[in-house]
Amino acid sequence: MLVATIVVLGCAIAAVLLSWRYFRRYAIVRPPLGVFNFSDVAMMLGSIILIPYLDLALPLWVVAGLLVVGGLSTLYFTWEPILRPAWARWLATLVLVGLDLAAWQWLGRSSPWWYAINNVFVVLCAVGITNLWAQAGMRARDAAILAGALAAYDLVFTSLLPLMGDLYARLAMLPLAPMVAWPIGREGQWYAIGLGDLLLAAAFPLVMRKAFGRSAGLAAMAIGLAAMGILIISPILGPYVEIFPVMVVLGPLMVLQYAYWRRRCGSERTTWQYLQAEPIHR
Amino acid sequence: MLETGLAQLRFAASMLFSLPLSVGALERLVDAALDTRREFGAIGPAAAEFLGGPPLDEEARREMQLRRFRSQAVTAARETPYYAGLFEKVGLDPQRLRFEDIARIPVTPKAAMRNTPDAFVRRSALPAFRTMTTGTTGRPTSTYFSAHEMQTTALLSALTFLQEGQIGPDDIVQISTSSRATLGNACFSQACQRIGAAWYLAGLVQPAQALALLAEEHHLPGKKPRTSFLSTYPSYLGELVECGLAAGYRPADFGLERISVGGEVVTAGLKARAQQLFGPVAFNEGFGMTEIWPLGATRCAAGHLHFEPTQGLIEVLNPETSGPAQPGEAGTLVATPFWPYREASVVLRYDTEDVVAPVAGPLTCRLADWPATSDIRGKLRLSVRHDLGWTYPRDVLEALEAVEAVPLPARCGFWAVSGGVGVEVVVRAATPLVRGKLESALEAQGVPLCGLRLLEDLRQLQHPLPLRCDLREDSFATPAPSTAPDVSAAGRLPAERS
Repeated sequence: MLVATIVVLGCAIAAVLLSWRYFRRYAIVRPPLGVFNFSDVAMMLGSIILIPYLDLALPLWVVAGLLVVGGLSTLYFTWEPILRPAWARWLATLVLVGLDLAAWQWLGRSSPWWYAINNVFVVLCAVGITNLWAQAGMRARDAAILAGALAAYDLVFTSLLPLMGDLYARLAMLPLAPMVAWPIGREGQWYAIGLGDLLLAAAFPLVMRKAFGRSAGLAAMAIGLAAMGILIISPILGPYVEIFPVMVVLGPLMVLQYAYWRRRCGSERTTWQYLQAEPIHR
Repeated sequence: MLETGLAQLRFAASMLFSLPLSVGALERLVDAALDTRREFGAIGPAAAEFLGGPPLDEEARREMQLRRFRSQAVTAARETPYYAGLFEKVGLDPQRLRFEDIARIPVTPKAAMRNTPDAFVRRSALPAFRTMTTGTTGRPTSTYFSAHEMQTTALLSALTFLQEGQIGPDDIVQISTSSRATLGNACFSQACQRIGAAWYLAGLVQPAQALALLAEEHHLPGKKPRTSFLSTYPSYLGELVECGLAAGYRPADFGLERISVGGEVVTAGLKARAQQLFGPVAFNEGFGMTEIWPLGATRCAAGHLHFEPTQGLIEVLNPETSGPAQPGEAGTLVATPFWPYREASVVLRYDTEDVVAPVAGPLTCRLADWPATSDIRGKLRLSVRHDLGWTYPRDVLEALEAVEAVPLPARCGFWAVSGGVGVEVVVRAATPLVRGKLESALEAQGVPLCGLRLLEDLRQLQHPLPLRCDLREDSFATPAPSTAPDVSAAGRLPAERS
């Protein structure tokens, strides 16, 4: 359990720190027209409610296919500003996805090798997605609304209903599973945190930095990591719970931070104002 | 982002499957452009690709244009009285047109549209707006447009202005064009309004009045303190420059950042002298015409006119042989605007009578992927055929407006004489020095000068070129004295206006 806790916590910290680093170092290739706005958040919430049911209803091979397509495109745009030649991006993307599939196929999904490869894949996806949101102009207000809504969603669908438990049990059987995990105890058991929780934890510091400055971003990162850290190591210290709704803790913390900085700094900065105040020398 | 993506797909569907342009999708794209500008400070060049589509090689472009021409020809033959019998007469089936057949379709002359504008309106169209040319070069010509195409044209213009960073919500726009230029004014003002810029139609009033409007300080929330964008004709801009410099205005009296100027020949001399008055303003130059609207051209830094290939087909025809003009050889611009940009009135191979020359490739300018011609040299009917070839209005105007002794706009005329052309021009003072300068300038422009008349009174002109600035819209009152700049405070005196 200790090793699993260290691995999961380490991956969560890596996702948050790498997203922060990427945000200041690389310009993601965003769509030339349009800003990540409230409609996108609303659409995302709609998808979050709908997609778990689809994942449970669709045949496993269809879900696996969707994960492969999603994984390939996410990794490709994550590598885009880092690896200049297109062939290098495709190579890096295909190698990682290929290794994940190969390890899952030949070593089995209980192999620590598969978990290690999949964790790298999930952390990189988190870095890319969070930067796409933040660099496409996601506002801190919208991130706070998303976090608040997800807290309520998590409370209902993770704590009160069996939906999330069933979903993770199903997705964990597949390659490119959207979670950072490590095997524990008996065959088939694992300890994990979902990609969704990682995304919110890693994206919020970025949008807070853009909106209110470096201090707001660092505070969001510290608070998020501390909260996640406590939640991740709590099974070692306290009673074991099978599944815990992480957003129930992270969501209200994000809403409170937004309210504090909004009151303190006034309106949010746009990306243009942020880059004027904190130029990036790439 | 997702809504914008869907709107982009809808726009692409119009391009690929010839669906009507969706006002809703264009509205969404304008909103996205405004949001992008607000969030990121500017819109990246990649946004240009979705409007014009990806760059096409010569063969693909030809194929795409043939498909669109054919579709427009089928519509024209089926739905307009003018073209109904024409294809039968020339023995062509519009559904089976090949690229080489296009040249067999008779060119549509200006007179046809002027005499029977209704004959070009599609039977299934909903014409809502009749616009007329200002008639500078003859009797006005009418064209009909539907409300839908007026809306889409304004939205597409708004998108282009935003994408090029030319007009933003903080701009104040003065339109100093004829109030009768309803099509251009309506589309441009609606585009400004959609962007959120403040606009006003000043019209072609006394230059002193227009200058006072440009110099006026504003205290509007979210707007620049002075008018920042001016849309006008070259000749009226010339009048503003002449009047402004004479009245003692200086660049500090204005906040102009950009001048959109067109409808006549724009010369380098005019632009240089406009910058003396207004400071380092940028110029938007292009080509637009009521009868082929919204097909128009953008002028690149290299001086070419580029036509967006999805909007229409352009040809340059030698006026003497009626065959295609070769690169560098002058000819008249013949244009066919395509669906879905053009809906109510259909014209095929419309002879604009504007003289241009095809440019030799390969081009290296920013718009190299779009078909290009030289800049407009003037109307064919205002050009002169003489023993040595042709002299065009641009040849003469470029020479004259570069010389300070010629008041702006250059009031002049030219005509054929044995061995070349005779030129007459109004100057400030008819001195031998001025004569020498003008002769050199005209020769440098390749004008085979065989006589130069210097005049000090424009009423003495015998062959005056028509100028749009003369479409004057006067008011009852003369401008109040307070509209002139407060030059006494700056310790300088305004020059007397003659």
